[in-house]
Amino acid sequence: MIDKLKEISKDQLLAEVKKYADSKAKFVTGSCNDLGDRLEVTYFFNASPGMDMSALRFTVGKGEEVPSMTGIYLTAVLIENEMKELFGLKVKDLAIDFGGHMMLAQDSPVLPMLKSEDQKAAAQKGGN
Amino acid sequence: MAPRTITPFGPQHPVLPEPIQLKLTLEDEKVVDVMPAIGYGHRGIEKACELNEYPKNIYLCERICGICSCIHGITYCEVVESLWPMDIPPRAKYLRTIFSEMSRTHSHLLWLGLLADAFGFESMFMQYWRIREKVLDLLELTAGHRVTQSVSIIGGVRRDIDADMKKHCIEVLKDVRKEVEALSNVLVNDYTVKARTIGKGVLSYDQAIALGCCGPHLRASGVKEDCRMQGYLAYGDLSFEPVVASGGDSYSRAAVRIGETIQAIDLQLEALGKMPEGEIAAKVKGNPPANEATMRVEQPRGEVFYYAKGNGTRNLERLRVRTPTYANIPSLLVMLPGCEMADVPIIVLSIDPCISCTER
Repeated sequence: MIDKLKEISKDQLLAEVKKYADSKAKFVTGSCNDLGDRLEVTYFFNASPGMDMSALRFTVGKGEEVPSMTGIYLTAVLIENEMKELFGLKVKDLAIDFGGHMMLAQDSPVLPMLKSEDQKAAAQKGGN
Repeated sequence: MAPRTITPFGPQHPVLPEPIQLKLTLEDEKVVDVMPAIGYGHRGIEKACELNEYPKNIYLCERICGICSCIHGITYCEVVESLWPMDIPPRAKYLRTIFSEMSRTHSHLLWLGLLADAFGFESMFMQYWRIREKVLDLLELTAGHRVTQSVSIIGGVRRDIDADMKKHCIEVLKDVRKEVEALSNVLVNDYTVKARTIGKGVLSYDQAIALGCCGPHLRASGVKEDCRMQGYLAYGDLSFEPVVASGGDSYSRAAVRIGETIQAIDLQLEALGKMPEGEIAAKVKGNPPANEATMRVEQPRGEVFYYAKGNGTRNLERLRVRTPTYANIPSLLVMLPGCEMADVPIIVLSIDPCISCTER
């Protein structure tokens, strides 16, 4: 259970992030999760100074484009590039685009964080 | 305009214990642009944690970083315990706090030595590392290992501190405190140290927040923010107040770490004195339910953030780890432009970079 989690659509993302930036909140990080045919994206923010954290969450179909928040929070550049190359999240208008090779080398596995068929089957059976 | 050259800083460089490259655009000796490149050691630990059972992930998480190893293990256990949620015995909370602060002490002493080494103050480097050895010996005595302790388990800890160990720890910590104070007095007052660090790599209060910085790097810019303010583990029972400086430069970052080293020793002494008797681990049965949780813990380098999602099976659905250096690297894009090439090593070192953490 995450306190102060707000579900949004990807179209609301930049407007919601702007609210955080206007209130001088700090961007903490993001997380992506493979839900099968969709990706779940969660961004965490902190009302600085202090430790009050809240989060924004949306899901997108694999292959759908998502706007980059790096125009508002430059520091999101690492996590957005990471989600792009490890999960295949299509982030557009990144402030710095590492072209899919921020973390991974040329000969690394492709989209390694997506769930394998074995993982999905094991989760459905209740263990592996 | 002077001709521009692009100079690679790293991935191998004397101030970098691990590989990262900064592509520096220079006009004569002045840095005008910087582009970081990571990815030299990505290990896929988050993915590996989805494929292993809950208890085995402790050992994986501890290997995210050698220096913050103990706190990675503790944070992983804390976030998994939050999935139930479950409470751990009070004594275990104190023990985790003591091991955490021992880790902070040796990490900051390591960094202070590296700082001295970076500008050629070799005798100070050796003195800081000599003192650090005493703390590593305490970790070996109490937690069982100098570097990778594996002392935290889901539900508590696996080693206790008995009366003899406690007495020895108190004696050594008091001795270490005196030595750190005396040596750090030299560091903060030395002319050369000041010349090499004051006004170097300045980050303002607003910039530090906008760039999402954390840890001593953030607090050196005047932001009073430290995960220990949340009162997790035993911090709520201890006299904790964040160490803050206002200069926002490399000197202030050193000053904050010195203050935190002494504070960490005081916290250990206080925790050893207040630690209640009792069990050191709760009995844990089965897997956590389908749930999600976050945990934020103050590592020596700053806030580490764990997000865990369980699905009721023996495996995590997802584990996300945001390490302090991951949050602090973007600030180099602001701190380095405008500085002299000769100051780059000190400024990079001033964020206490851990690339092993960043790569996970």
